[in-house]
Amino acid sequence: MATINVDSRGSACPGPITDLVRAYKKANNGDIIELLATDAGIKADAKAWCERTGNELLGIEEKNGEYIVKILIKSKK
Amino acid sequence: MEKGGLYIIMFSGTADKLIPLGVLTQSAANLGVPVRIFVTGWAMLAFKKDGPGSVNRISKEFEDMAPLLMKGMAEMKAPSWYDMLKTAKEIGDVKIYACSLMAEALKMKNKSDYDPIVDDIVGAASFMQMAAGGQVIFI
Repeated sequence: MATINVDSRGSACPGPITDLVRAYKKANNGDIIELLATDAGIKADAKAWCERTGNELLGIEEKNGEYIVKILIKSKK
Repeated sequence: MEKGGLYIIMFSGTADKLIPLGVLTQSAANLGVPVRIFVTGWAMLAFKKDGPGSVNRISKEFEDMAPLLMKGMAEMKAPSWYDMLKTAKEIGDVKIYACSLMAEALKMKNKSDYDPIVDDIVGAASFMQMAAGGQVIFI
C-alpha cells in the first residue's frame, strides 16, 4: 500500500499518461499513484485511462496550473 | 491480435503527418490498445535506415505554418514522432510493417534497409487480414 509519486510537469500529451503507465507497471494493487502534471489534457486522459484499465480515479486537484491526479491501483493481475 | 486494436495506414512522409502518427500510437499504447502500422507510399522514406532523423519536410499547403509548429514543439521539448513510436513499442503492443510493393519500387527489399523500429515487410493482403473488423485510419 505504497504511494508512488510521479512528476510529469512540463511533459505534454501523451507523455504524462506514459509516465503513469510506467509507474503502473511497477505498482501493486492497493498502491496509490500521485501524478503531478501541467498538461491540461491530463484531466480527461487520466479518467479515460482509469476507465480503460479498471483502476480507480480518486480525484484530481488543480492549483496554480498544476494538476495532482490520484489513482488507486486495482487491476494488477 | 485481440479485438479493439488500432490499424494505421501511414502514407504521408512529412513531419506534420508523422507527428500525429506518433501521438496516436503512443496514446493507444498508453491505454493498452494494440497498434499495427502499415507503412507505404512516401512514408517509406521516413522509415529507411538512418531516415527518421532526416524528415523535416512539411506538407506543401502548410509550409507557411511550419516554423510556428516546429518552434512550438521545440519550446515544449516535445519528443519527436520517432521517439514517440519507440516509447509506444516499449510500453505497449505495437508493430510496424513496411509495404512489400513499395519496398520493391523504392529498392528497399531487405529488412536491413530499414530503421530497426520496423518489424517486417508484408503485403497489403496480410495487413488487411490483420485489420479485418478493426478500426483503420489512413494518414
